[in-house]
Amino acid sequence: MLALILALLVGLFLIAPILVVIPMSFSTAISFQFPPPGYWIGYYRKFFTSEEWLEPALNSLIIALGAMALTMLLVIPAAFGYVRYRFRGKSLVNLLILSPLIVPHVVSALAYYGFLGRAGLTGTHLGVIVAHGMLAVPVAFLVISATLKGFDRNLERAAMSAGAGPLRTFVHVTLPVLRPGMLVGALFAFLSSFNEAVVALFIAGRGASTLPKKMYESIRLESDPVIAVVSTLLVSAVVLGVVVSVCLRRRPVA
Amino acid sequence: MAYLRLDRLVKSYDGRVNAVDDISVGIAKGEFLTFLGPSGSGKTTTLMMIAGFEEPTRGVIELAGEDLTRHKPYERNIGVVFQNYALFPHMTVARNVTFPLRMRGFPRAQLAARVREILGLVGLGEYADRYPRELSGGQQQRVALARGLVFNPDVLLLDEPLGALDKNLREQMQVELKRIHREVGVTMVYVTHDQTEAMTMSDRIAVFNRGRLEQVAPPLEVYHRPRTRFVGEFIGDSNFFTGTVDAGRPGRVELDGLGPVQADPEACRRISGGRVDVLIRPERVRLADPTLPNSISMKISVIVNYGDSVLVIGDARGHPVRMRLAGAPPATVREAATITIGWLPTDAHLIGVRL
Repeated sequence: MLALILALLVGLFLIAPILVVIPMSFSTAISFQFPPPGYWIGYYRKFFTSEEWLEPALNSLIIALGAMALTMLLVIPAAFGYVRYRFRGKSLVNLLILSPLIVPHVVSALAYYGFLGRAGLTGTHLGVIVAHGMLAVPVAFLVISATLKGFDRNLERAAMSAGAGPLRTFVHVTLPVLRPGMLVGALFAFLSSFNEAVVALFIAGRGASTLPKKMYESIRLESDPVIAVVSTLLVSAVVLGVVVSVCLRRRPVA
Repeated sequence: MAYLRLDRLVKSYDGRVNAVDDISVGIAKGEFLTFLGPSGSGKTTTLMMIAGFEEPTRGVIELAGEDLTRHKPYERNIGVVFQNYALFPHMTVARNVTFPLRMRGFPRAQLAARVREILGLVGLGEYADRYPRELSGGQQQRVALARGLVFNPDVLLLDEPLGALDKNLREQMQVELKRIHREVGVTMVYVTHDQTEAMTMSDRIAVFNRGRLEQVAPPLEVYHRPRTRFVGEFIGDSNFFTGTVDAGRPGRVELDGLGPVQADPEACRRISGGRVDVLIRPERVRLADPTLPNSISMKISVIVNYGDSVLVIGDARGHPVRMRLAGAPPATVREAATITIGWLPTDAHLIGVRL
């Protein structure tokens, strides 16, 4: 009973900010105010009509898709190598791959700023894609290597004894069976980029400003209630993503 | 003339210990051969080498006179059934079963007819459009069997295929497997650690222990005339005594701690003297009557009643003895009682001990 109450309290604590933001996005107040004095959808209209907000939204989408693609390109071969082969320094490699989780984002951001600046990539989409791609590697790697560990290699053996060579075994059996796990990994990579603010602040500049960066600037300068709208939309996107990933996971695989 | 021939097969993973250590056996066309042994005895590794999933460290695998040793699994014409079924989860039953045909370039026009035929054989005609997860364990195993057989393989390998099923289903599937083997006539190599399965289904049993073959023989021979003590102990319930055969007096064995007993003179001559292990199956141990030449007294410690038989466990001068009596035991057989037991000389199987 006590545990249940405690769980509910923790849950409430976690969910409260979201519950505050959603009503505020429909508020009539000219600044942040809770509870809202009245309700309308004017700030939604403002968000969807102003160039100032739509451009970062589009940037965020492009960058998140790019970062997702880059992450998957790196992580899928890495996960196969890591799970299926034994080699010297394996645990060190694991630590290296997971290091972006451990290093504070500000530190990474500073490093990327110096490095990408020298390459002339600050303020470009490509620059942010590279940085976000790196940051998303650990999460995607964890998801995909876990899927791969759960993969029954007898399936590949069965395919081979049925007459399929390595390539056809991979295309007809390995890949389709692993697909749900890979999609979840990709989704996490997408969301991690879409929600990332610190690195974006350092390197996105004017040219590739993302939604979280724009929000930060907007809240500092004008505390525009449109931020509540964007927050609500971001939360909705994440919830949608999680629901999709849960559905993918549910689909029995073995 | 062996159809499938394993010749001095060795597999070592680390270069020091041999998981499979010098296995040679010939399998006749259409034979049902079982690899039987405890886990880690090398039977599955040997099977995986026949399938081509593991490469032998040394030795040769020949099928119908052709050397298969270095062929890839997909270059062999060998079907495999796995313990955990290994059905493709994203394909329907029909797709699973046609997979080998599609990979092997079977004429498309004949696919449907062949699938109907093979699913009929395993009794799953109506399940063609189901997914594996919608089937019970027994049904999934039948699909796996159909997938292994559909392309008319030269040999079908089965790796503990009934291991994941419950007891009743397992017995049912044993009968089914035998029927399918009769109908299709394909050569089967079957791996199991379950001696009952091996006894009921096989034409011959190959008993594995520590990577080596202890004996290859028909089930009844393995049971009644095990070549080694390991085989006698692994298969069926057993009483083992140690003793000495005197070459000058065939028909007499001096059992350690129990004194002299009569044995089959023929068996004694074959061993030609020396140390022996003496095997007497519990069902051959009888309550003594005056006609039995060998009798010893035994104090009963436990009686286990199975309904159709009783297992009497007792102690004869420090030697544990197990006796199985059919039907209900007489009143003299009760716990803590001392009884006289015996056996016929021909019921004692002698195994010479090589030092």
